[in-house]
Amino acid sequence: MTLTNLRRLLTVAVLGASFTAHADTTLDKIDSRHEITVGVMIGGSPFGSLDPATQQPRGFNVDLANELGKRLGAKVQLVSVLPSTRVQFLQQGKVDILIANMEYNAQRGEILDHVATPYYRVGGTAITLKTSGIARWADLRGKPVCISQGSSYIRPIVERYGAIPRAFPGSSQSLLALRGGSCVAAVHDAAPLLYPLLQSDPEWRDYRTLQPEIEPAPSVIWMRQGERDTAAKLDTFVRELHRNGWFIATEAKNGLNPPSPALAEWHRQLPAEN
Amino acid sequence: MDALLHGFITATARLGLDYRFLLDDYERVPFVQGLGVSIEIILSTMTASAIAGLVLLLALRGRNRLVAGLARGFIEVTRNTPTLVQLYCAFLVLNMLITQWLRARGIDNPFKPFFWVVLVLSLHKAAFHAEALRAGFDALPSQTLEGAASLGFSRATRFWRIELPLALRAALPALVNNMVELVKASAVASAIAVGDVTYQSIMIWTQRDNVLALMLLILAFFGVLTWMVTLAGRWLERRYRIPGYGY
Amino acid sequence: MATDSAAAAGKFAVTRLPPGVYGVLGVLVTGALLWSLAPEAGSRGETLARFVEWSPALAHGFAMNVLISIGAIFIGTVIGLLAGALAMSASFPGRLARLWIIAFRNAPWLVLIYFTTYVFPFEIHAFGITVPFPDWLKVTLGLALPASANIAEVFRGAVASIPSAQWEAAASLAFSRWQILGKIVVPQCVRRMLPPWMNVYAIITMGTALSSLVGIHDLLDTAQIASSTVARSSFTVLTYVATLVIFFAYCYPISWLTRSFEKRLRTA
Repeated sequence: MTLTNLRRLLTVAVLGASFTAHADTTLDKIDSRHEITVGVMIGGSPFGSLDPATQQPRGFNVDLANELGKRLGAKVQLVSVLPSTRVQFLQQGKVDILIANMEYNAQRGEILDHVATPYYRVGGTAITLKTSGIARWADLRGKPVCISQGSSYIRPIVERYGAIPRAFPGSSQSLLALRGGSCVAAVHDAAPLLYPLLQSDPEWRDYRTLQPEIEPAPSVIWMRQGERDTAAKLDTFVRELHRNGWFIATEAKNGLNPPSPALAEWHRQLPAEN
Repeated sequence: MDALLHGFITATARLGLDYRFLLDDYERVPFVQGLGVSIEIILSTMTASAIAGLVLLLALRGRNRLVAGLARGFIEVTRNTPTLVQLYCAFLVLNMLITQWLRARGIDNPFKPFFWVVLVLSLHKAAFHAEALRAGFDALPSQTLEGAASLGFSRATRFWRIELPLALRAALPALVNNMVELVKASAVASAIAVGDVTYQSIMIWTQRDNVLALMLLILAFFGVLTWMVTLAGRWLERRYRIPGYGY
Repeated sequence: MATDSAAAAGKFAVTRLPPGVYGVLGVLVTGALLWSLAPEAGSRGETLARFVEWSPALAHGFAMNVLISIGAIFIGTVIGLLAGALAMSASFPGRLARLWIIAFRNAPWLVLIYFTTYVFPFEIHAFGITVPFPDWLKVTLGLALPASANIAEVFRGAVASIPSAQWEAAASLAFSRWQILGKIVVPQCVRRMLPPWMNVYAIITMGTALSSLVGIHDLLDTAQIASSTVARSSFTVLTYVATLVIFFAYCYPISWLTRSFEKRLRTA
């Protein structure tokens, strides 16, 4: 159909124009313009949320972004991202780095580069009603599971446990859908999201989480492929923040409970190096 | 077939479009199923909205003022709030409350997301249908109505045999337009994980980052559907044309 | 119809309320009902207090929706009138204009928004300067495209409603086609286009809710963040119903104004 062809031509032309946007590498931008755009996940958890009084973003991710910007001597511009938009925004060039609770996995490692030292370790767990009859991960076979669009847990739960994913634009909708009975369990990050719910929120007292956590994977800062210099520079900062206990202090400040054993581990291990 | 597929993928790769997901069963099968789900949603919503639109119209024109007022109020609310917000309110809030209420009594919630999407979209479009039909009724020539009354037809017969068919014909362009809008609005189902083609595309592009390639497919799909609806509408208009009106 | 004839007379009977008020009452009653049913942990007063705490953020979010809608209708009107006028001629630009209208009337709005958000660059390098292309502007463009197509159709409908006798009479007085359009037809069309144009604006405003799906901090997105942060069912119910009410409070007066203009035009 001529209409479709014409549309295709137009959109390819636009795509071609959009490639010209990838002019600077991140380090050049930091050195020349002294600014950096950081994609942070603002989902309503201690990692990223909005302060209702000022409508400004706050949380662990935000604090890390600002701290890195301070050390780089660059002005930090925060852009909020969702699991469903973060990779696209990075690839487009809209953000330079991602501090978005995005765990390392081999598939992502193929298309993006990352800072070698992680800043958190997160595993996923499933939250389900105590009466649902789901006691092990294998019980999820053939059952619908609520999850976030773009989550790294989708493939594991499908391929390893045969669950049927129902992906929502954000974790808040996914959890609401769980309460609405659209799925038997919801799979999300354990420590940042699900454990705090179970601990502090009396509405979730009829729910429990599954053990062991799946894919306990390190959360790293991501950047576009080929930006090794930026990654190396940020790496030195991240190691220092582990060494001087900044991460542990920030974790406590943002109310992340229980304190992550991974952070304590890195704090102990890293001083040995230069 | 396979050779055709590989040829297509290599050709489009040269343009910068990534269609490799078509080779992966894990991604291709849900995508094709998503096409079917979208069509299911659209057909169900068309039928349900047509029926609901008629019911709303009867309520509006009825003699009971309370019912007419409620219908009017309902139409105003559903026409002046976004479909997405209505969908969230129905599926995330109402559904959750129903589930909790039923669970306390040990019953499973029978309403699935598909049901909520069809319900919300049909009611939304029914309001537009009712408005279009009302405009159709307003356009009826008073001579015809007076003539029918003078022939001793009862109110019900007049409505079903004379007024409604004429009003339908007058309202047909607007109704077809509503149906086209309905086809487009069905994309919003992706927000509550119903499994339509937009949802499946999101699932693929968040892993593969081939937004443009999938966009083109979805646009082509919806383009074909709206084209078919418009053709059907034009055929209906030609078939049921009233001589002496329009051109 | 009783309500319509009363309104057509150009005034409201004191005893009968505007229909929208029934709607608002209905929503409030339903909302109150839902809230009383929502299992509550902690006092209702606390939920209300949190809602008041979050209301500036929600208002800020809605301001974003309004901004996008105004931008979209403005750009859409400019393009739409141009396309509508061009589409009436048989020349090549006319054919392009007709193609534009067909393309953007048949594309789902959600897909167009995803398209402009992901495909357009995030900043434009032109003449040595870098201009940022913020994401709300992309959504505005994404909504301006179908708006322009709708407005072009509105324009076409308005022109078509001018009796052909006027065209013939003007032609017999040796007016050219474009002169007829400019001096005779369009001035009459402006009044007729106003109600459907306002209708398009109301629809666009409702379409701005879709921007939450691409991460814009609009009202819906802020409501979702608020409900995840507070994480209480009763607060969630209150926030989502409030979102509904806020959109209604903005769009209903517009559609009411539209209808009163329509009635006034008909009786004029």
